[in-house]
Amino acid sequence: MSATAVSPLITVEGVHKHFGSHHVLKDVTTHFNAGEVAAILGASGSGKSTLLRMLNRLETHDAGRIVVDGIEVNDDARALEKLRAEVGMVFQQFNLFPHLTVLDNVALAPRRVRGLNRDQAAERARELLERVGLAAHIDKHPFQLSGGQQQRVAIARSLAMQPKVMLFDEPTSALDPEMVKEVLDVMKQLARSGMTMLVVTHEMGFAREVADRVLFIDQGRIAADAPPEQFFGNQDNERVSAFLGRILH
Amino acid sequence: MIAAAALLMLILWLITIPLSWAPEPIGNNAQLFADGTRVTVELTIVAGLVGVLLGLLAALGKVSKVLPLRWLASFYIWVMRGTPLLVQVLFVYFALPEISPLLRMGEFTAASVALALNVGAYNAEAIRSGLLAVPKGQLEAARSLGLSRWHTFVDITFPQAFKISLPPLVNNIVALLKDSSLAFTIGVVELTNAGSQVKSTSFQAVPVFIATAIIYLVLTTVMTQISDAVERRFDIEGKLA
Repeated sequence: MSATAVSPLITVEGVHKHFGSHHVLKDVTTHFNAGEVAAILGASGSGKSTLLRMLNRLETHDAGRIVVDGIEVNDDARALEKLRAEVGMVFQQFNLFPHLTVLDNVALAPRRVRGLNRDQAAERARELLERVGLAAHIDKHPFQLSGGQQQRVAIARSLAMQPKVMLFDEPTSALDPEMVKEVLDVMKQLARSGMTMLVVTHEMGFAREVADRVLFIDQGRIAADAPPEQFFGNQDNERVSAFLGRILH
Repeated sequence: MIAAAALLMLILWLITIPLSWAPEPIGNNAQLFADGTRVTVELTIVAGLVGVLLGLLAALGKVSKVLPLRWLASFYIWVMRGTPLLVQVLFVYFALPEISPLLRMGEFTAASVALALNVGAYNAEAIRSGLLAVPKGQLEAARSLGLSRWHTFVDITFPQAFKISLPPLVNNIVALLKDSSLAFTIGVVELTNAGSQVKSTSFQAVPVFIATAIIYLVLTTVMTQISDAVERRFDIEGKLA
């Protein structure tokens, strides 16, 4: 990318994070451009989820700087709400609102944050739920859906805010194997539509097929950052090879 | 729920009729019993509503990030739960006016204030446990959608916490209904006081207090009916078979 291009959508500069005495992230510096799909891999406890969660301040960073879409990520509550409205997040455990219907789960934030009226929000929610293949379930409550369906509702819920970037925190890790595909299919479709996506995952197939870029986090540092062909191809990094060996059997 | 609430209203309107059918000394004092019942229910509703509001405020204070608010809420709960309700009723009615004439209240108001303050402290713990029982992921999801703190509370936390807090809250309100009899001590003519007056004039303690107890039992039963209906209304997951 040329130097005259627009500044990156997300900039992470010299970021550190401690949990007590545990140094989770060590001097992490990277950036993500609009339209990019990045897969973030690493062993559990490597700090990959923490890195993702710092981008919308579900975790604080102890040192360094994070800028998302021109907004400095810090404790300024107003700026934070604005930032979060632009950053969608999908969780491992779905975190749907159990007391609301599927439609209301998706329509709530556009009404409250974007100021849409009830009909506009419902209309947008219906379109998105149709897109993720759940048009028939809009009046159900989350507990009536399978894990895969719930996660697709969660994706639609984030998309309803029309975010500039979507963060996925192990979106298929809590799913039964037969439901992983339906969620990954929705994510692939989203990637093709040009959405900027950061995906913490253990789905190597998805990383290889869909990602523009694979980041490997090891012991709190970015140990590798390469296009998937290179990452999964001739790998000269020992730790990456060891990790891939464990994952791919 | 509406049906149960209507039933309560109906009981209050028509209670004089079955009471007047009862043999002496109940029948000829039906009006006194009915008035006492009405006052008991009024005390319960007024103190109950204020008490839920106080409980909510104190619960929010206790989970607040602001240390003085936490202290204030803890102090309030500590005092109200650690002292007898009877002392609180007497204090509000007799002691507060001595501290400041502005705090002079009528019997009914003083009883309502004391009962509300007392049940509020118990409600605070019920509501706080509900607030703490809402999974952290719910807050994270709400925040990550850009919902403000206010909307996160109103749309996400509170409805879920309320559902969890409901059974202990109802428990507290049923206890409040019975504890409202302590208003007797400052001269409020509620149900127990009415019964006691009838006993003094008729000298027939057995039928009088059996009748009094039965009326309390009817009221608490209707209240649990109402709360069951509310619980079922919020039970979208069908956990209550």
